[in-house]
Amino acid sequence: MTTGQTKRVHVDRRTTIKWLAATMVAANTGCSSNSRYLGDEIPAAPKPANSLLGVAARPDNIGYGTDPDLINPVVPWSRTMTEAQLSTSAALCDMILPADDHSPAASAVGVPDFIDEWVSAPYAQQQHDREIILAGLEWLEQESRRRFGSAFPSANDDQAVELLDGIAYPDQAAVELASLVEFFDRFRYLTVGAYYTTEVGIADIGYIGNVPIVGSYPGPSAAAMAHLAGVLEELGLALPS
Amino acid sequence: MANHEPYDAVIVGSGAGGGMAAWVLASKGLRVLMLEAGRHYDPQKEAPMFSVARDAPLRGVGTPDKPFGYYDAAVDGGWQVPGEPYSSAPGSEFMWWRSRMLGGRTNHWARNSFRMGPYDFKPHERDGHGVDWPISYDDLAPYYDKTEAIVGVYGRNSGLENHPDSAPGVLHEPPAPRIGELLIQAACNDLDIPCVPARRAILTRPIGKRAPCFYATPCGRGCTIGAAFQTPTSLLPMALATGNLTVVTNAMVYELRLDEYGKAEGVNFIDKTTGKQEAASGRTVVLAASAGETARIMLNSRSNLFPDGAGNSSGQVGRNLMDTVGAAMTAQFPLLENRPSYNEDGAMGLHLYIPFWLYKEQARGELDFPRGYHYELGSIGRREPGLNLGGVASFAGTYGRTLKEDMRRYYGSFLSFICRGEMIPNAGSYCEIDPETKDRWGIPTLRFHFKWSENELRMVQHFQKATSEIIERMGGKMQGNILPAQQSISRGGEIIHEVGTARMGDDPASSVTNQYGQSWDIDNLFLADGSVFASKAHKNPTLTILALAWRGSDYLADQLMSRSL
Repeated sequence: MTTGQTKRVHVDRRTTIKWLAATMVAANTGCSSNSRYLGDEIPAAPKPANSLLGVAARPDNIGYGTDPDLINPVVPWSRTMTEAQLSTSAALCDMILPADDHSPAASAVGVPDFIDEWVSAPYAQQQHDREIILAGLEWLEQESRRRFGSAFPSANDDQAVELLDGIAYPDQAAVELASLVEFFDRFRYLTVGAYYTTEVGIADIGYIGNVPIVGSYPGPSAAAMAHLAGVLEELGLALPS
Repeated sequence: MANHEPYDAVIVGSGAGGGMAAWVLASKGLRVLMLEAGRHYDPQKEAPMFSVARDAPLRGVGTPDKPFGYYDAAVDGGWQVPGEPYSSAPGSEFMWWRSRMLGGRTNHWARNSFRMGPYDFKPHERDGHGVDWPISYDDLAPYYDKTEAIVGVYGRNSGLENHPDSAPGVLHEPPAPRIGELLIQAACNDLDIPCVPARRAILTRPIGKRAPCFYATPCGRGCTIGAAFQTPTSLLPMALATGNLTVVTNAMVYELRLDEYGKAEGVNFIDKTTGKQEAASGRTVVLAASAGETARIMLNSRSNLFPDGAGNSSGQVGRNLMDTVGAAMTAQFPLLENRPSYNEDGAMGLHLYIPFWLYKEQARGELDFPRGYHYELGSIGRREPGLNLGGVASFAGTYGRTLKEDMRRYYGSFLSFICRGEMIPNAGSYCEIDPETKDRWGIPTLRFHFKWSENELRMVQHFQKATSEIIERMGGKMQGNILPAQQSISRGGEIIHEVGTARMGDDPASSVTNQYGQSWDIDNLFLADGSVFASKAHKNPTLTILALAWRGSDYLADQLMSRSL
């Protein structure tokens, strides 16, 4: 999937990077506040001169409070992302977690909607991520159009890989792209966390549990113990009696 | 409140100490009023057992509204309570967790229940730091046994130095260790470090209506079957069944009512549902509001006799504030990649732990820090995925189909090592009334001062070195760099073990209460929470709070019945 090829940045990207850097500074300032919410200071989406994805709605300043209904949870805030932002998110999260023989792609199990829920939440951490993510999505779109003449969701796999390889590997990415490296890592973090908490994600990763057991806890299976025996042998350790 | 009839005891708080005091006193036929600052809470109706992350906002992660996650059993709880602020003095940082609900913090605690040992009650005698308790381990041992029998604690008698065994038959059978724990235990055996069954307040056999653990769903959400100890499913219904206990919730106590002779007549409180000031009368008052809130009530109770706060002739109320030393290290273990799946939930928390093991070396002067720490080994392995699984992706560092393969490979290959250590009280760590601020009820608030000393920082360094050796022996790869102790150590209050603000002692000049939690100055005032701790062993405090509350309540009842009070 990944090409291993690192695409170096051209000087003519500087303009894009400049406005992106500006939004990063703003986001960091917001996050340093200790207030429960950003209050009336919740910022609108970053607004580059030539926004391609549109401007996300201003988030509601409504959290779920300190005594929400735990049995029937609801998300009290509205989603704010534009259709275009959602579409770019879907394309990106499917590049991160595509369909394979085991499980479907991320967009098939609602990950873009979760990203929207996340960036629309009123809390400081999510508002911090909002700045990074909306700016990153805009960069992806601009860069895709500039390089390939097509929207990011329409780019073919090779083109998308070329774009993402420039920001997916911190050790190899250009210094000027540091904020986009942060964007990719954060977006991937949310995509993966959202995906592997769905039913199909849990099944794929092989978590077994959250079911009541009658009687004593059985402990590791025979297969798990056999695997451990191999580990201990390799380490020269004895199985505890 | 309509009923102004004096109760035999007015208890402030419904958590560990208050719950125990209520049950002990009510069982003896005393009429008890319990005032709880939070709302009524019934785990049977409200605990979100088996609810999954994807059904909660933001996949259930912590937010300022719910710092330990959406499903955490903390009502109006957290580092900030709406309308009830506190402050930290300049240059200090202290975090104060409160839960405004029936049962208080017993609803979500980790249930780790380690006994203090003989050294822990006489720390000054052993190393010259801090002060000794007015009791020895032997004084509390019978109460530990009785408490463990009522609470229900799994564990095993390991016969280790300063880690006392329980009486035969008291402990419940501990759950079998998981793979990660067995690997740690194997490495520890090789390194001559003890790794033994943990002790947690979780039933593995029934007690009355409380069912044994069924090995699923996090204890911190509350437990509808009563397996994980919390007062609303145990001590409170037991106390209510006597017919001698009245519970009033939403009752925010702000001061003691004191008569002209310096006796307590009861308390004044705000009824949070009306905002009105109310009074409750009692022949005795038991404060079990938590170390911070108990000190706050005492310091806010001023009279001509007590210009510096009720029961504070020693000047020690609010002083000697301690929390547990916290630090953590995580490693990835290549040999655990792609290991076979099985149900690793178990009793959710730790099945094994590493008790402090270097007493002899310490006595010989071979360690550069006094006191001890233990390791908690919970929350490891192939546990129910939460949003933090994204961290595994950052570790894998790729994307695409490769990432999906890497997720299967790395999931369950991480283990964490958590340090819980003893802090020695110091002059720079205390709370006092903030002259500037009142809460929404008009009650003056607390201001905290807190600092770690070199003792705690050197302890963290030792933990880092010891942990590195264990991880290396297991073939693990440390995640992140080892930071200087000053940056690795938890913030004051962060471990939520705050104790010591009204310590017990033998001398009224240097302590607030006697060995029963009875105020030296006000003989019908008793303290039954962590405020009375004279030192803070690395062992988690709740079990000791419960045992001390039982012992103090026995004494209180004897005094009341013999008309000494």
